Amino acid sequence: MSNVKDFNDFAEEARLNEELVTLLKESMPFHVVSERLLDRIAAIAQRASYDPGEVIYHGGDPSDEIFIVASGRIEHALVDGVATGTPMRTMERGDVFGWAALLKDRPGRLAKTTALTASEVLRIDAQKLVEVLDTEPTTADTVMSRFATMITKDFAVPGERAEVVPPRKRAGNARSGGGGGNDGGGGAMSGAALFMFRFSQWLRSPRPYLMFIGFSILLGFWFFAVEIWKLPRFREMPGLTEVWREWLAEDPIYGLSVHVPEYYTHIWVSIRRVLIAFALATGLGVPLGLFLGWSTKFKEYVFPVFETLRPIPVLAWVPLAILMFTGLETPVIFLTFLASFYATALNTMLGVQSIDDSYSRAAYCLGASHRQVFRHIVIPGAMPFIFTGLQISIGVAWFSLVAAEMVSGQYGLGYVINTSYTMVRYPTIVIGMITLGIIGYVTSAMVRLLGDHLMQWRVRELALGEQS
Amino acid sequence: MISAVENIQPANAPASARGGAIQIEDVVKVYDPEGAAVMAVDHCSLDIKAGEICMIVGPSGCGKTTLLNAIAGFHDITSGSIHMDGELLCGPGKPMAEPGSDRIVVFQNGALFPWRTNLENVIFGPVMQGTMTKAQAIDKARGMMADAGLNDVEYNYPGEISSGVRRRVEIVRALMNDPKVLLFDEPYRALDSLTKSVMHEALLEIYYRNPVTIFFITHDLEEALFVGHRVVIMTTRPCKPKKILDVDIPHPRDYGVLTSKRFRELMEETVDAVHEEALKAFDRGEKEG
Repeated sequence: MSNVKDFNDFAEEARLNEELVTLLKESMPFHVVSERLLDRIAAIAQRASYDPGEVIYHGGDPSDEIFIVASGRIEHALVDGVATGTPMRTMERGDVFGWAALLKDRPGRLAKTTALTASEVLRIDAQKLVEVLDTEPTTADTVMSRFATMITKDFAVPGERAEVVPPRKRAGNARSGGGGGNDGGGGAMSGAALFMFRFSQWLRSPRPYLMFIGFSILLGFWFFAVEIWKLPRFREMPGLTEVWREWLAEDPIYGLSVHVPEYYTHIWVSIRRVLIAFALATGLGVPLGLFLGWSTKFKEYVFPVFETLRPIPVLAWVPLAILMFTGLETPVIFLTFLASFYATALNTMLGVQSIDDSYSRAAYCLGASHRQVFRHIVIPGAMPFIFTGLQISIGVAWFSLVAAEMVSGQYGLGYVINTSYTMVRYPTIVIGMITLGIIGYVTSAMVRLLGDHLMQWRVRELALGEQS
Repeated sequence: MISAVENIQPANAPASARGGAIQIEDVVKVYDPEGAAVMAVDHCSLDIKAGEICMIVGPSGCGKTTLLNAIAGFHDITSGSIHMDGELLCGPGKPMAEPGSDRIVVFQNGALFPWRTNLENVIFGPVMQGTMTKAQAIDKARGMMADAGLNDVEYNYPGEISSGVRRRVEIVRALMNDPKVLLFDEPYRALDSLTKSVMHEALLEIYYRNPVTIFFITHDLEEALFVGHRVVIMTTRPCKPKKILDVDIPHPRDYGVLTSKRFRELMEETVDAVHEEALKAFDRGEKEG
């Protein structure tokens, strides 16, 4: 029987040891350590349990051990005068604390640590740990560097903290890397999860309700001014209920509602014109802006001409546009294109000029050619400004489109508004206007989303900025 | 223990097989933007041995950076010459050096490209030069980042990590190209003193593994004495060496050095010279930077 017992003991011990090794593997500094060495580290580790509220050590206590959390949650509060980063953090499984024991001169504890729940902790004597590590110098080197990284992270300024674990490894060690805090932030999430997170944040903030109140005031004023108070200047205006009924009517009095196919023809024609003009403006404006910003000589040729043409309003181009372009479609597209093109080119140029000199210098240092600097520094560096330009560009595209459609053209929302005025179909004017507002908002949101998609680095930076 | 990796043996008198000796001879740089000549560097001569850490200390705006820019190839010089391993970088007939991957600058405000992840930043040099395929570069970069304890931030963008970690990524990005010289332009200026202390040890640790020549500009005397083999104290503008000091504290060093007797002595020896120049610069109202 005793044999069996011995075997059980042995098996139990092996299981415990394996558990320790698994835990060590989960903690950031020991990721790279071989199983064999981990076994030896596990041998010098001791388990300790703490009750909720029990203090593990106080600030100023002598430091001779490092700790790794096995279970439970532990509060880590830096003592006054040390805190440069997050002064208070919660540690969970895999997190390492008490690294002061590894510093050469062993300062006293820099923090007070308290068990928040019933917790289990591994205690490793720092002296012994160093002795074990010293037997494998290259690994020791990496482990120590990782401790140094961890310490740097701990002292990082808020908002600059690197809590995010690379997606490749997330599953394995999502809680390691210096621990706790707010790793729920931007970078670790993506796609749908990020959207849902933002959406729920948005619902919890006062913003949607303020927005609702804003719209209510506008619509309420419209309703009261026209239909209840019948203010003098509003007498001729179509009222809210009239427009609403007309818009949704199956058989509209003035011929245009969501049930009439012609309504969608107008929308589609306008969208197509804007898209063609916007694509042309982007395709020509971005390269022009890039070259204007990149080459001083090119700028000296082109920019004065550009700046002379730019202030000429779109409407002033109408006669020439009709003379220059045959047909009904091309003059409208040309007029829509014009203002967008200026906005895109100008913002792109400013974007190139805004790039910090040290980026291109660094690229040249690293052996990049002129062409490579253009491709890898100038274009991505100007991207934030380019997208600001595109946002403005899509806005002014709608603006000029309606102006152009009112002057020439046969379909489109601008045409609808203008002809409805001459034909005295007042509610249709307002239907056209509201439709323009909604479509304009959607297209501009799409440009913004595309920008966010292409500039993940910026989205993440801004998300971190918001958190702190 | 974090600092001194005892098994690696750097000699105090460095010997680098890769070269990287810099001879600055009689360099003069005069700025003349509006007809009123301003002399930034005045007949400055300095020999830097291959594999040496040479710390340049001087008050803000004294022209240290002008010297660094001349070596890196960002600015021309008015007269004099700079050689590297006997080859002319810039001098008579060639006022401006070509920037190249044998001399890489680590910038004051950091110049990791914010639109590339840290890993993409580190592989930039070899991939642009075409000396490695992307896969090879990623392999090497992963190894070097692991050595520097940085593999947890491979897939982060520089904007997501602390400035201390960012500087280390930037140093690794430079070392990927096996440069002969690293030129540091006050890279730790914006860091708080706790982070700085960790950064100095990390820098030394990286240096012990890759003993390249280091030309390091700072106005922090303690930093200079702690890291450098030699400390060159510059006069305020026009800039030239005022005092050159051999730091005879053996490498490898760690933070314990700061409290040693010899360190205090060296500090006392140099602090007056630095203070004197700082006062001059202050009285003239030099712009910082």
